[in-house]
Amino acid sequence: METLKSTPKIKKTPYNNNNKKTFSAGKMDRLFGIALILPAILVVGFTTFYPVLKSIVMSFYDYKLSANKNYSLNNFENYKEIFKSGEFLSATYITVIYMVLVVIILFVIGILLANALDKKIPGRPVIRSLMLLPWVIPTVITALLWLWLFQPQYGLLNYIFIKMHIISDPISWVSSPKFALMSVSVASIWRQLPFVTIMVLAGIQGIPQSLYEAATIDGANSVQAFFSITLPMLKGVIKSTMLITIITNFKQFPLFWIMTGGGPMDTTTNLAILTYKNSFVNLNFGKGAAVATLWLLILVIFSTVYNKAFKTNSD
Amino acid sequence: MYKKAGIVTKIFLVAVLIFLLFPILWMFLTSFKNSSAIYKMPPEWFPKNPTIENYIKIINDKLFMTYYINNFIVAGITTICTVIVSILGGYSFSRYKFKGSDTILLAFLSTQMMPVVGIIIALYTTYKTMNILDTRFGLVLALMSASAPFCMFLMKGFFDDIPRALEEAAFIDGCGRFNALIKVILPLSSSGIVAISLYTFLLSWDDYLYCLTLISSDKIRTLSTGISLRYLGELSYDWGRVMTVSVMSSIPLLIMFIFLQKYMVQGLTAGAVKE
Repeated sequence: METLKSTPKIKKTPYNNNNKKTFSAGKMDRLFGIALILPAILVVGFTTFYPVLKSIVMSFYDYKLSANKNYSLNNFENYKEIFKSGEFLSATYITVIYMVLVVIILFVIGILLANALDKKIPGRPVIRSLMLLPWVIPTVITALLWLWLFQPQYGLLNYIFIKMHIISDPISWVSSPKFALMSVSVASIWRQLPFVTIMVLAGIQGIPQSLYEAATIDGANSVQAFFSITLPMLKGVIKSTMLITIITNFKQFPLFWIMTGGGPMDTTTNLAILTYKNSFVNLNFGKGAAVATLWLLILVIFSTVYNKAFKTNSD
Repeated sequence: MYKKAGIVTKIFLVAVLIFLLFPILWMFLTSFKNSSAIYKMPPEWFPKNPTIENYIKIINDKLFMTYYINNFIVAGITTICTVIVSILGGYSFSRYKFKGSDTILLAFLSTQMMPVVGIIIALYTTYKTMNILDTRFGLVLALMSASAPFCMFLMKGFFDDIPRALEEAAFIDGCGRFNALIKVILPLSSSGIVAISLYTFLLSWDDYLYCLTLISSDKIRTLSTGISLRYLGELSYDWGRVMTVSVMSSIPLLIMFIFLQKYMVQGLTAGAVKE
């Protein structure tokens, strides 16, 4: 595509628009630009865009894997079923509760931790690296590590809690309706805390030192400086990092599936588990697709509102 | 601000570090215990008679080693393919913007938001009719689209930092567009390439859901799914074995992290902080 024949054309471009960021004048440039993203469009289109559209269509069909072909429209039966049984609302409720809980704790601890790591402490570089370790532990392994710590008879957590007289009898954490969701949340926070902290820390280090100096001269203490300089300056970083965390937790599957399988009594059945169970356990793809479609709708509405809310705030 | 940390800050730091590091330490310690030491109460904090019998058992477990090698193969191929696709795409978004290219970038980024399980339902049926269900090709393709959008975005950021004058000079010297990318720009963006490679490898190594649904034969199954199917089926787990398997599957990433930490953090933070 890039032959010498086309060089004169390009030669002109940079000189004509020195300020322009791109070389987008000639037709060849446009073709070249399109050709470069074509592989990505093909791959992502085939394994993401097309499936998303297809699953929306599937949600209106009676699409069971056991039946052989000849799928037919079923008059919103999938949607009716989901709402009638109440499983969708319950799964949405669990997803949101879990997400809100995890995100709030992540950011409170993450911001405090990043702030602490920005101070003068002995062995700071080592602590910073060590702190990141959970981030590279695979999700399934995270689930296993915490299952072992939460293990009712031999798990360390019960032993320590009983020793410290916090509880009197061992608790079967992941199989008790009361504690199951909390247990998954702890594992999830453990895995994501390094990510949140490192992002916030990067943001803190981008704040100009002069702001703090000015505040000190004005007689502000470190707590005041934190609330009136650090937090406001971190808004952009917190916004983008929080959106990533919210979406990640909205989609969480492996931690739930390995630790609780959605139980006990569906107390940890989030939207991901509900979709998976409907489609790959009960083999009712139509119903699974219906859950996924509603779920996608929630996410789209949410991120639009989220972006709007943050925009109007900062203006 | 490099102020000295007070006592409260120090206590907080110690507490959080214990929370973050102890589970990993406990995983290593448990893997070196024999079964009687594992089920002792009160617990044996440090193995009195450390043993590597768990490791010997796992290494001799043919199926585990198959999953392990498969994970390297799948994550490796996915990384190479994703890096190529993302370099090309990122370069286009940085230098050859055309009408609609911003929309395309936005569409790519919005895929991060989509529920994976929902995608997989439709993907499964498509793969089935195309006969690529239960193939490495199908798995790699799916994993690529999980990481490519963010990698393209990151590469665009790295390319944006390289002055355009370099390509302009190359064009004047008669260098074609593609050669300008390969010979002039790529050598300058090595840290970006390392960052997206690590990101993709990490994400592909971590995959559970795609393999769980798209792969059904042991020959090509990868680690996470293999572990969950093989070691977690029964009511009571053999915790020594489970923790050894956990150590084995974390080790490659931990080693990578120790040596290439700088790039991993750089790539990650560059994407979000720049915005």
